[in-house]
Amino acid sequence: MIQFTDVVKRYPNGVEALKGVSLTIEQGEFVAIIGLSGAGKSTLLRAINQMHTITSGSLKVNGVEVSSLKGKSLRRFRRGIGMVFQSFNLIKRTTVIKNVLAARVADMSLVQSLLSFYSKSDKIIALEALDQVGILEKAYIRADQLSGGQQQRVALARTLAQQPSIILADEPVASLDPVTSAQVMNDFLKINEALNITVVANMHHVDLALKYARRVIGIKEGIIVYDGPASGINQQTLKEIYGRDLTEDDLMGEH
Amino acid sequence: MAYLIALIKGLVSKALKIITPEPLQLSNGKIVRPAISIMWIVIPVLTFITLWSISMTRFRLDMLIRRSEQFFVIVNRMIPPNFAYFDSILTPMIATILMSLVGTIIGAVLALPFAYASSELNQSKIGKFVVRGFFSIARTLPVLVLAVLMMIVFGAGAFAGTAAIAIFTFTIMVKMFFELIDTADMGPFEAILSSGANRVQAFWTAIMPQLWGQYYSLTLYNLEMNIRNAAILGYVGAGGIGIVLSERLAWRVYPDVGLILLVLMVTVLVIESVSREIRRRLL
Repeated sequence: MIQFTDVVKRYPNGVEALKGVSLTIEQGEFVAIIGLSGAGKSTLLRAINQMHTITSGSLKVNGVEVSSLKGKSLRRFRRGIGMVFQSFNLIKRTTVIKNVLAARVADMSLVQSLLSFYSKSDKIIALEALDQVGILEKAYIRADQLSGGQQQRVALARTLAQQPSIILADEPVASLDPVTSAQVMNDFLKINEALNITVVANMHHVDLALKYARRVIGIKEGIIVYDGPASGINQQTLKEIYGRDLTEDDLMGEH
Repeated sequence: MAYLIALIKGLVSKALKIITPEPLQLSNGKIVRPAISIMWIVIPVLTFITLWSISMTRFRLDMLIRRSEQFFVIVNRMIPPNFAYFDSILTPMIATILMSLVGTIIGAVLALPFAYASSELNQSKIGKFVVRGFFSIARTLPVLVLAVLMMIVFGAGAFAGTAAIAIFTFTIMVKMFFELIDTADMGPFEAILSSGANRVQAFWTAIMPQLWGQYYSLTLYNLEMNIRNAAILGYVGAGGIGIVLSERLAWRVYPDVGLILLVLMVTVLVIESVSREIRRRLL
């Protein structure tokens, strides 16, 4: 369970990205966060795993106050939370399997990780993660040889290899074409349902968000303006979130 | 006095008129004034510095030309080289190569952690400042000075030379490599950090795979440089072929000197071309 209570995030330059956000996400939910770029979506997501520290308020994940975590305890906490990025963030010059294994170094001693000493069980975890997203046969190919959709699947496999209870996805399909986007979103849905992993995804494309997420959170200038089922979203609420009518660019189209 | 000021003003305005490019008129009547060329400052300053340097160093072009034939006289005496001497220089030549090889490897390995500490990945601003500052100072020491210092510590010989090369490579590689680290793609680093790894683990797993090729290439480049460095270290007594070279030169045994230079050139050329080929494949 993820619990925001009056969370405020103020950046050193004075910008208030989150202005008192309160919300609760239960284990196993599939939540999409929508809003204009700069509305605070990315900050909200990165607050959950403390890649950005919050300024005030309380943020609890599975009962643990996240802002109280530091150093080793913070790193141990992060192991349970996977993260997927718009630009995939793969290590391009190395193989797919090594990219997935990279998620295991957090569990290893410094010496083991410097020697890249992955145990047999680590390798099996990595290969099974690749199998789950359907690209097992690409395991020993260099990551930069893959298409965008395949690269995002490797990234998804990398977070699965962490065996997380929560996956945070920051614009996971914004750099992909419509067909590939649908495939990757289906992977997320499958993982969400099969493994009961909470998925919190920032979505640039409203139609994709409505199609895949059961719950949608609309954020505008650091304030939550909508929080409810995807079915409750209409023209009026969208206008409230975006402050304008939707444009072609806000939709992925053809899926 | 007023006359003098007027004179200077007149001269300045005349000079400005000479160096100010003519305004250009377009066909539609617009007038464009080209900027004054910076060359009007650069050329006089460079000329002044050059003339000053010539007077300071008492450089004489006529001497350079008149005595240059003397150079060819010596080269002439080196030909043919004394090939019988080869057996005696084989050992110091191999020592020179090994000194540079070992020194380069030690320096390159030591440079890795300090390059990390100097890079933007180091969160401690003070730590970064201290490490960078230390290496900036260390880099000012020429390899010959390092060799003399090492000889004071370890005594004359190849060990002092190797240590000097290792330190020299170390200080250079730290700078060269931390600048490469700062150009690496930070995305994978953030990804590994978010999975719960510490910063060193994330650096090693996410940044280094992007840079290994460039790291090996830098190391080979340093090796090339160090072979040439190692050849002169003998002059101060820090081992290798330089010792033999300075001795033969002092005794004016030019056919021996000829052979040493020939072997040195061939060695450097071979190592440079092998290294260049490997580097080409790495990048």
